[in-house]
Amino acid sequence: MSDERERVTAYVDGVLSDAERAEVEALLAERPDLREQAEFERVLRARLKELAGPEPRPGLEAQVRAAVGSERRRPRARFLLPVAAVLLLAIWARGLPGFVAFEVARDHAKCFSKSELPAKMWSDDPREVTAWFEEQGTTMPLLPAGAAHASLIGARYCPLGDRFAPHVYYGGRRIRVSIFVLPGPLRFEGHYDGEVRGQNVHFMRSAGMTLAIVSDQREAVDAFAKEFARSVARLEGPGAPSPLTP
Amino acid sequence: MLFEGEALPHLKRLYAAAYRMTGNAADAEDLVQETLLRAYRAFDRYTPGTNCKAWLYTILQRVRTDALRKSGRSPETVELAGDGPPVAGAQHHALQRRDLEQALQSLPEAFRTAVVLRDVEELSYGEIATVLDVPMGTVMSRIHRGRALIRAAFGEKKE
Repeated sequence: MSDERERVTAYVDGVLSDAERAEVEALLAERPDLREQAEFERVLRARLKELAGPEPRPGLEAQVRAAVGSERRRPRARFLLPVAAVLLLAIWARGLPGFVAFEVARDHAKCFSKSELPAKMWSDDPREVTAWFEEQGTTMPLLPAGAAHASLIGARYCPLGDRFAPHVYYGGRRIRVSIFVLPGPLRFEGHYDGEVRGQNVHFMRSAGMTLAIVSDQREAVDAFAKEFARSVARLEGPGAPSPLTP
Repeated sequence: MLFEGEALPHLKRLYAAAYRMTGNAADAEDLVQETLLRAYRAFDRYTPGTNCKAWLYTILQRVRTDALRKSGRSPETVELAGDGPPVAGAQHHALQRRDLEQALQSLPEAFRTAVVLRDVEELSYGEIATVLDVPMGTVMSRIHRGRALIRAAFGEKKE
């Protein structure tokens, strides 16, 4: 009985197949109670369709729009926050001596591992090297012609992270030394010494610039550090500024 | 915006359905707002050109179920044995609007929702099955039971 009544409901709603509909119509012809149900449901459907339903208060749509609007902005903020954090971290990290030491040690090893040194200008004269950088708009410290049996070879700009830094090459028999003039801030007091990737790295200030001296030989690094300290002392001393020669 | 153009025009119907589910304006507003926010977050999964109203009702139903679950309740259902309620020859001319609203509101929520989705919102059985996440046979049964209860209520009124 219940199944018959459900099928009458489905019949009223027009969801039966042709065969099922024919079966229900046969039942309706025989059963006044089912006919009455079908008639009631038809009228009920029509009346319910006319029901407007309760109206929302006028401000609801604006409230929903505002909530959706704030939701629209939120994912961007959620996305931007980690990006901003990574950027800040990168800015902070690139001023860390350890981070910069890693960069210069890697670049030093990379340049000297090539079969031919990738210098853009070749000279053993500090004045020529300095002049070449000044033509590109970079002020250089007083460069020594050499130290610890390593002589000036040439120079170029090398990428250090997102920046390019002057890179000066010195070499001798089984000795390689790099001098970098570091752009941007670097957080260290006095000087910094570290060993990274098998290279000795020394940071120092010279004539308002930050220099990095890199070599796999500690003595060579110390010798170049002394040379730069001496040239600064000459500049700051009571005598006339020294020419660019050592 | 696509979302505003597709979904927000259904706000009034959603509210009416939400009101019929909850029985009060404050809960209905919360339900509608949460439904539309979830719809906005999931809008990339909506296929333009399909029945947006049915899609929104599906979300509305989920939000309602979640809310009831959180409050430790579940949608009220009444499984009627046998033929359903006794029917005392209700007359269709007796179906006055206010009485109809009352009769609808007096239904258990599961039946009321099925009847509203079918007879007020005019969703297909298939769409209702998706919205309520039940088989088609259950949809048919709930609609039948809901209408039968309304009919019984009007039969009693007549007596």
